Amino acid sequence: MKIFSESHKTVFVVDHCPYMAESCRQHVEFDMLVKNRTQGIIPLAPISKSLWTCSVESSMEYCRIMYDIFPFRKLVNFIVSDSGAHVLNSWTQEDQNLQELMAALATVGPPNPRADPECCSVLHGLVAAVETLCKITEYQHEARTLLMENAERVGNRGRIICITNAKSDSHVRMLEDCVQETIHEHNKLAANSDHLMQIQKCELVLIHTYPVGEDSLVSDRPKKELSPVLTSEVHSVRAGRHLATKLNVLVQQHFDLASTTITNIPMKEEQHANTSANYDVELLHHKDAHVDFLRSGDTHSGGSSREGSFKETVTLKWCTPRTNSIELHYCTGAYRISPVDVNSRPSSCLTNFLLNGRSVLLEQPRKSGSKVISHMLSSHGGEIFLHVLSSSRSILEDPPSISEGCGGRVTDYRITDFGEFMRENRLTPFLDPRYKIDASLEIPLERAKDQLEKHTRYWPMIISQTTIFNMQAVVPLASVIVKESLTEEDVLNCQKTIYNLVDMERKNDPLPISTVGTRGKGPKRDEQYRIMWNELETLVRAHVSNSEKHQRVLECLMACRSKPPEEEERKKRGRKREDREDKAEQAVKEHGPEKPRPDSDRLKGILERGKEDLAEAEVIKDSPDSPEPPNKKPLVEMDEPPHMEKSKGPMSLLSLWSNRINTANSRKHQEFAGRLNSVNNRAELYQHLKEENGEEVGLTGGPRTSIPFLKCSHSPVVNRMETTENGKASRQ
Amino acid sequence: MDDYDKTCLESALVGVCNIVQQEWGGAIPCQVVLVTDGCLGIGRGSLRHSLATQNQRSESNRFPLPFPFPSKLYVMCMANLEELQSTDSLECLERLIDLNNGEGQIFTIDGPLCLKNVQSMFGKLIDLAYTPFHAVLKCGHLTADVQVFPRPEPFVIDEEIDPIPKVINTDLEIVGFIDIADISSPPVLSRHLVLPIALNKEGDEVGTGITDDNEDENSANQIAGKIPNFCVLLHGSLKVEGMVAIVQLGPEWHGMLYSQADSKKKSNLMMSLFEPGPEPLPWLGKMAQLGPISDAKENPYGEDDNKSPFPLQPKNKRSYAQNVTVWIKPSGLQTDVQKILRNARKLPEKTQTFYKELNRLRKAALAFGFLDLLKGVADMLERECTLLPDTAHPDAAFQLTHAAQQLKLASTGTSEYAAYDHNITPLHTDFSGSSTERM
Repeated sequence: MKIFSESHKTVFVVDHCPYMAESCRQHVEFDMLVKNRTQGIIPLAPISKSLWTCSVESSMEYCRIMYDIFPFRKLVNFIVSDSGAHVLNSWTQEDQNLQELMAALATVGPPNPRADPECCSVLHGLVAAVETLCKITEYQHEARTLLMENAERVGNRGRIICITNAKSDSHVRMLEDCVQETIHEHNKLAANSDHLMQIQKCELVLIHTYPVGEDSLVSDRPKKELSPVLTSEVHSVRAGRHLATKLNVLVQQHFDLASTTITNIPMKEEQHANTSANYDVELLHHKDAHVDFLRSGDTHSGGSSREGSFKETVTLKWCTPRTNSIELHYCTGAYRISPVDVNSRPSSCLTNFLLNGRSVLLEQPRKSGSKVISHMLSSHGGEIFLHVLSSSRSILEDPPSISEGCGGRVTDYRITDFGEFMRENRLTPFLDPRYKIDASLEIPLERAKDQLEKHTRYWPMIISQTTIFNMQAVVPLASVIVKESLTEEDVLNCQKTIYNLVDMERKNDPLPISTVGTRGKGPKRDEQYRIMWNELETLVRAHVSNSEKHQRVLECLMACRSKPPEEEERKKRGRKREDREDKAEQAVKEHGPEKPRPDSDRLKGILERGKEDLAEAEVIKDSPDSPEPPNKKPLVEMDEPPHMEKSKGPMSLLSLWSNRINTANSRKHQEFAGRLNSVNNRAELYQHLKEENGEEVGLTGGPRTSIPFLKCSHSPVVNRMETTENGKASRQ
Repeated sequence: MDDYDKTCLESALVGVCNIVQQEWGGAIPCQVVLVTDGCLGIGRGSLRHSLATQNQRSESNRFPLPFPFPSKLYVMCMANLEELQSTDSLECLERLIDLNNGEGQIFTIDGPLCLKNVQSMFGKLIDLAYTPFHAVLKCGHLTADVQVFPRPEPFVIDEEIDPIPKVINTDLEIVGFIDIADISSPPVLSRHLVLPIALNKEGDEVGTGITDDNEDENSANQIAGKIPNFCVLLHGSLKVEGMVAIVQLGPEWHGMLYSQADSKKKSNLMMSLFEPGPEPLPWLGKMAQLGPISDAKENPYGEDDNKSPFPLQPKNKRSYAQNVTVWIKPSGLQTDVQKILRNARKLPEKTQTFYKELNRLRKAALAFGFLDLLKGVADMLERECTLLPDTAHPDAAFQLTHAAQQLKLASTGTSEYAAYDHNITPLHTDFSGSSTERM
């Protein structure tokens, strides 16, 4: 389908010369007297519309149908012609509605029958029509801007519908010649202009209308090519109803419309509320809604020729909706509709029913007598659409169930939690533009993706993979930590959550640690808490870079959480050598070379460790019987002083004290390297001999980067040897 | 000759055409594989004859190409190129592809006719037409390797402006979620199964190419079944919550993921593709303007999940939703006049409705230049005034006279009373204070 086909631009040129004030000579009874009040009263004489009134109301009906079905990208420019051309609106989208056109027409009023016919002509309007076709529309402009160097792909075609009362066939030819000449001239002008476009194709539809009962002085002529740019057709139509019917036929041709008649619509009778009668309502819509009938040539589907309409209408049967259940139908197309007879009672009954939010399935009667639901009528935000439902066989018949595929045999997915996650990540329209701090336009959809990224940084998929998400007590923290920024209140709630967990640990409350796949009772209580704290740390760490307040939550967590130090040791030994250089580098980058802060370095380390611990937690869960590592003695950590103020976890008074003293002392002087690297206050000499890479130590001097097995530790020498191997192993 | 003992490609193609349409309708893409020895038949019904008479057909015996459904025609010739080129067979077969709008391809055998070379020819067809579409489904950091079946077809939005067919990304990125009620059976280009796949160590998909030993595959599948997969989680939650996931398929191209139940027990993760463009569904608005609810001042779904920001209301109402005036049929005009008359008889109770209807008629008459109607209705109202019963409220007479007078002023078409935006307002009388409106 081409966006910029002839139907992108339609110009109406309606003759406003004195002769259009003539009556169409078709009477309308407007004084319908109601029975039992009519005795002795003579109804008022019927009135008749002028040729002008007939022309205007028929063209308004054309526009009504067009705007209903194509509210965008199909534009109308309305021109009235008498002693000059009156252009009633522009191509802008705001001007494209019936109210605007009606108001503009009212200012023009009916033609003045006493005006001088000599100086009035429809030619003024036709010239203006060509001029207006050269003007670029918003859509053309947008497409050209978007296509840049391919801007010439944007077409400029249009249609002029001229309603006039011509004098003869030669008069019609004169009008055609005039249009052709004007196009020629204006295309020359447009060639040298940036805001005008040359007309590539113009369809001239000349409608000669005359009072009923008169003979036509103009003969019909089918579409004929007058030049490569211009085609013309002539319709000679009696005024009144006939003119309206002609324009209805034309709007269907011009915009590829088709007609569907909904049959068997049950409606309550006004007078007798208990009875209902069945009505039919005819709707117009894009013909693609009938694509299945057209393709398969299934014309026996209840098609019937209707008086006055140029095409067949497809009859579909109303299926009274039984439930209001929300279903996702397989719909291959949805097309806006317009009722043919918009104000008739059956039409407005149907449209109001739909506008109130009900959907109706439509059944296609088949020759064989079998029933097939082929369409659905449904409104979305005050617009009614005819949905085409797929009624042919699906190629995805009998697919394997999702439970038979990858991950299909896992039974403890966090379905409910992910449901909650989906609700939190629902979308909503943001119609007003928003701007980022750097004044660039913010795209809401990108914000949605950012949020998904944040919300999924740590999101275990199955229940047995997580402890914290199975704990009600963690919810206040877990629900806010994923946010981009936290309020003071959020931080407070997170802290409360952590204190609460500390309290639980102190009371030795049980934790919902999964025992799936484990033999025996599963991990011990303190092990359970360790797993829980590690997981919580992983969650918080995943968001620590969001804001300074997130950082505060982490600090609180780190200060409060219990850590069996030997666990830390063991991990660190394994990890440290790998990360050392990397981290030292980062620390320098982040805090400047002159002031290396061990803190941030440490945080990174713990993040890593958190992950490892988590991985380990799974290992432990899977094989609870595997022996604990032998080096189980508590270690005093000299290089990682926790935050004193907030420490609430199970820490001995001694360790608190020594930590504090050590921290205080370490600030006062540069620690002697030998003491830093000492074991039981004994420093190993020539340690570089054992290093595979002698550079390491030199590069990473400082308390944090000591060689793992030379840590200040009370562990016996035997253990040291073991961990050396560990250290090496992990380095490989 | 309806005997099926001679080469008659046209009848075969007609047969294919009918079968496909009966079975699948006209919207589902179909690959038609024609296996031939390269001989086109002789005399009437031969392909040469069919092609020669192709332009002299009536609608009832139309040549079956192009197929009336999206299609690819693959011609598998059991002959090598030289053999085919010695006659005009190849030309005729190429005409077939051309007639199918260029959709399709001809395959010939490389080398002598033997089993191996035939297999290799079909191998090429498989590679071309039956390669599975692999993608990665992403939702933030949650990901899954998937196969999308059937292969999504490239799509041309507008052959004039943007003739390059759009293809979907192999990264399918979820951007957010919407309730099924809000997405509301949207029109889609096509729908596809989204099947999670397992990757082996090298990063190749298990089961691609030539199938391995069945036992191996089964055990691999069993292991894969036990590894948690994001697709299964997503599917389960979409099903339980009655929601769809909006997925980005490319620049300005989106689709939706949802759970599709085949039966009570079996259900699957499906993906439907919307038409490419910035605004595929008018009731959702522009896709780029959809953002997370947390950015909104208050939750647009309400605290109790009792409302929704969808559907979006269009700026202008459609004719059927705005009480337009259409007088093309006399009945339309008569109904509108009757409404005024009915309300006129219930004055002063119906004062507001009376004037509302009167003004509606007045506006339309002015726009259509139908001033005679204004005079006529004025006359009618004056007559009504004379017909008022003695029991009538005195205000009624005043209002009818006033309204008639105003219409007459408007019917001159020139005075300020004929301005479109001017409204006839009820006359303020000594009685009007008591005439409360009961609409």
